[in-house]
Amino acid sequence: MTEKFEPKITAFVCNWCTYAGADLTGTSRIKYQSNVRVLRVPCTGRIDFMLLMKAFQKGTDGVIVSGCHPNDCHYTSGNYHARRRWMVYKDLMDFMGVDTNRVTFSWVSAAEGARWAQLVNEVTDNIRNLGPYAEYKELAVAGIE
Amino acid sequence: MEALKQKAKELLQNGDVKAVLGYAVGTAGVRRPHFARNPKQVDALVLDEKCTQNLATYLTKHEVKHLGKVAVVALPATQRALLQLVAERQLRDDAICLLAVDGGEVKTLSSGAEVEQHLALKTDAMPAADKAMIEKLMAMTREQRWAYWQQELSRCVKCYACRNSCPMCYCEHCTMDCNRPQWVPVASHALGNLEYHMVRAMHLAGRCVECGECGRACPVGIPVHLLTFFAEESTAKQFGQRAGHTAKLDYALSTFKPDDKETFIR
Amino acid sequence: MSRIGVFTCHCGENIGATVDCAKVSEMCQHIPGVVHSVDYKYMCSDPGQRMMQEAIKEHSLDGVVVAACSPRMHEPTFRRAVSNAGVNPYMCEMANLREHCSWVHEKSEATTQKAADLIRVLVEKVKHNTPLFPIKVPVTKTAMVVGGGVAGIQVALDIANGGHKVILVEKSPSIGGHMSQLSETFPTLDCSQCILTPRMVEAAQHPNITLMTYSEVEKVDGFIGNFKVTVRKKARKLDEKLCTGCGLCIQKCPNKKISDEFNEGLGTRTAIYVPFPQAVPNKPVIDTLNCTFYKTGKCKVCEKVCPTNAIRFEQEDELVTLDIGAIVLATGFKLMKTEAFPEYGYGKHKDIIDGMQFERLASASGPTAGVMKRPSDGKEPETVVFIACSGSRDRSKGVPYCSKVCCMYTAKHAMLYKHKVHSGKAYVFYMDIRASGKDYDEFVRRAIEEDDVKYIRGRVSKIYEEDGKLIVKGADTLMGGEQVEIKADMVVLATAVQSNDRSEELAQTLHVSYDTYGFFAEAHPKLRPVETNTGGIFLAGACQAPRDIPESVAQASAAAAKVLGLFSQDQLTREPIVAVVNRQAGPTFSYCVGCFLCQTACPYQAIEQEHITARNGDVIKTIARINPGLCQGCGTCVATCRTKAIDLQGFSNEQLYAEIMTL
Ligand SMILES: Cc1cc2nc3c(=O)[nH]c(=O)nc-3n(C[C@H](O)[C@H](O)[C@H](O)COP(=O)(O)OP(=O)(O)OC[C@H]3O[C@@H](n4cnc5c(N)ncnc54)[C@H](O)[C@@H]3O)c2cc1C
Ligand code: SF4
Ligand code: SF4
Repeated sequence: MTEKFEPKITAFVCNWCTYAGADLTGTSRIKYQSNVRVLRVPCTGRIDFMLLMKAFQKGTDGVIVSGCHPNDCHYTSGNYHARRRWMVYKDLMDFMGVDTNRVTFSWVSAAEGARWAQLVNEVTDNIRNLGPYAEYKELAVAGIE
Repeated sequence: MEALKQKAKELLQNGDVKAVLGYAVGTAGVRRPHFARNPKQVDALVLDEKCTQNLATYLTKHEVKHLGKVAVVALPATQRALLQLVAERQLRDDAICLLAVDGGEVKTLSSGAEVEQHLALKTDAMPAADKAMIEKLMAMTREQRWAYWQQELSRCVKCYACRNSCPMCYCEHCTMDCNRPQWVPVASHALGNLEYHMVRAMHLAGRCVECGECGRACPVGIPVHLLTFFAEESTAKQFGQRAGHTAKLDYALSTFKPDDKETFIR
Repeated sequence: MSRIGVFTCHCGENIGATVDCAKVSEMCQHIPGVVHSVDYKYMCSDPGQRMMQEAIKEHSLDGVVVAACSPRMHEPTFRRAVSNAGVNPYMCEMANLREHCSWVHEKSEATTQKAADLIRVLVEKVKHNTPLFPIKVPVTKTAMVVGGGVAGIQVALDIANGGHKVILVEKSPSIGGHMSQLSETFPTLDCSQCILTPRMVEAAQHPNITLMTYSEVEKVDGFIGNFKVTVRKKARKLDEKLCTGCGLCIQKCPNKKISDEFNEGLGTRTAIYVPFPQAVPNKPVIDTLNCTFYKTGKCKVCEKVCPTNAIRFEQEDELVTLDIGAIVLATGFKLMKTEAFPEYGYGKHKDIIDGMQFERLASASGPTAGVMKRPSDGKEPETVVFIACSGSRDRSKGVPYCSKVCCMYTAKHAMLYKHKVHSGKAYVFYMDIRASGKDYDEFVRRAIEEDDVKYIRGRVSKIYEEDGKLIVKGADTLMGGEQVEIKADMVVLATAVQSNDRSEELAQTLHVSYDTYGFFAEAHPKLRPVETNTGGIFLAGACQAPRDIPESVAQASAAAAKVLGLFSQDQLTREPIVAVVNRQAGPTFSYCVGCFLCQTACPYQAIEQEHITARNGDVIKTIARINPGLCQGCGTCVATCRTKAIDLQGFSNEQLYAEIMTL
């Protein structure tokens, strides 16, 4: 086991702001680490916490959740509902001992291409430092068997 | 007690209600729910400090709904559950008939507004022991909390007693039973147990009336109620909205304020 | 088993130079369910699309993943191509190999691997895709405009000229709104009545416009293209068809001392009245609160004198229900009253008036016939102080926003005063001068430079009466806060523009959002300024925020264009990316338990109640129903529903679950 640890990062992003922002990162040819896998949903309001739960089951080491800044939601308020959901989710997960440092919530607009690259890099480095999410992976393995 | 029985008989005799739901003595002195459907059956009713179960849970069951109007001997938690059930449109406001016993006095509460008023007089905080336990857990490191819950949850047999005893878990088709997709594995193993309890607590955030029934119902003694209590307290603290205080819907997680304050979104 | 085709695009060098497309294509061959996988230089080119369409036919594909650029770029292109080859367009998904992979990563094994991963995820999604069909909603091509001010009139005329029927609902007895009260208008100083009255008449006579004055919206059901609106026609106590507007009743009405709303309390009117001589329609109403007959049971003079026997004392309100396709709200604003100012004597001094009262004093058709006479004693005021920002931009008055029109009309008022009283002195206290419209700053400069209006930058702290004068005390901040004191004969407060009383109630009736101050909220502050969040309901004029006439009219025409756009087709076609509530056989009927916690989560009020009934009509269960005409497909409700009773087409639970489980 000398292989270097490469974290698995899953990003849930809304179609209108962060996905478009990440597109802009591309058009601007700004480079970032390739660990992240992006899942596109219409709105942060659509992101059921159970989706995050499943991502961890599949051995994700870190999660990014990102959408439109407050006030900019394409659907006007989906992100406000999402924000409340995350405020409780994060609190509760912490209470249950889940490592909430592995979930990064962010607002990235369609104009913030550079910010997306920076976010992905920071999260990737951070998770690389934290190491694999072993505790959870053990559960998952025990679970599947 | 006599006043309660008196009132119960009266309600039955006048035909105001079809049954009175209260407590009776079961095997080994355990207090169990008791449906008195005629004045004779009223005599079995008891009410003492051993009566803890939240009877609101029964009111959403099909069998009970078919009975017609039921009067319920209601502890404060039962009253809160009832308000929340009315808010969530599981019970009609005009179906409310609560018998609240205060000292020797029996009060009949027959609308959401009356229950609200009655409850406003009470300050029925979370039991001190539970509060202390939550504080103790929060004082631990995250790893210790993880270890604690892993250990506790390892005993879970996924009997769903916690769910079935919860007055707010009235869904006919629970996410746990959803198989397209199978969100949570059916078997009781570490992952499935953790996920089940995560989901349960998230689904009760902003809806839990803090009766603690789930914790009492657990046959292996896992303090699962701490999870829903914590979730409820978290919503109450962050949004100032609390379950079981009004018969009007005021669900923190489907409302928002543009200036909700958090510290972690970058 | 699915038959999925994967088409990997090189995008010339754009993807090809970084990602080993041939290898990716090879790897995808082995994904279960994939029966065809190729790579090509330019997938979006004509030959590329043709190749794809041929492959669809040749391999009987039922799903397609195009691995190319961003779906935000070419999803419509490829969905169309797939559709032309006979496969439902929603069976096609795109993996973003360009913006999210080749352009942002270095050429490497890991980058190629990521490209393959991205495709794998979408292949699993496509396996759970279902054919979707555009949603069609019929459209009733009749519009309702609520509020007959200048904005509402403009909307009605534009829609009517576009060839569609319009119902114009106005709560007061005449259309015209605030503009009909104005004397002259900035920045041109043309007479308000002269430019507005022709429009009012045009609206009344237009074959496509039906006026419903003295009426209010009572109830709104339905959704875009299909509203059912109930309007309350308040009883005028008059048969409008018989009345010729001769005005005899008004002349003879013995009850003449009623404070006149149109003249802002500066004049009087009778109990049977038309608000102003140019009113449209020019038919009186009986003010039942002040009419002698309704108070004492005796009088009926008007009935006796009416030559056409049009008076109807027994007339009741009437409720009319109309089928409407689109609604435009143009209910305008109200002005804060001088009573809100304790520091200026709570509206006690007759000579402290608000801007609208000044308009009436200056108006040729006003109570003084346009001669400057102060209300208390009718004397010509020699010194007048105008106070801008009275209430506006003042948190303590609950109005932190700028009322927008006051800087301009204050300059106008000062000018009008100076034009009427040449020897008079006019002072303006102001915080800033906001005059950013076309010819606006020039207008203010004219007031200062040509008409010698004295502008003092500062706030007025106090006004009190002394020896028949109003002493105005304030600070001149440009003179280092020096105290100034002016002995005035009249003070005009440019009070704040506020949302109408009961505007929240109206918003709730129509299910549109409103802001903290009761102004109706636009769907997007920049890009959708005249739409509301509720499909088919639009905004015009000062009901959305303080607005002047040019802006109100521009917005009105914009709203009319939206309505005409909506009415240009018989059916509304919408993307089927909408939420649906699960339905199944009894006894459950649906996973939905009818808790309706989702209802407030929906930004578009798309969630309705549906009653499931037994044969005998008894309601067995009430569940949620998503109105596909209103749903915009954000999916917030889906994540809110505990029982997973709601799902979002195109981004369903099964699709997302499959995607995650592939990671
Ligand atoms: C003192 C003063 C001076 C001004 N001078 C100028 C000027 O010189 N130049 C300029 O460009 N602008 C001026 N303005 C601004 C101008 O008055 C407004 O821009 C304009 O009146 C806005 O038109 P509107 O149709 O949106 O609203 P309004 O004129 O307020 O009309 C709204 C109409 O809707 C009706 N209504 C309200 N609620 C309902 C309901 N529930 N149902 C049915 N009907 C309803 C009302 O009765 C009214 O007829 C001035 C404003 C003030 C206060
Ligand atoms: S766990 Fe959640 S979804 Fe399941 S029954 Fe309880 S509240 Fe309903
Ligand atoms: S998807 Fe969004 S818009 Fe559609 S019903 Fe659900 S919450 Fe409303």
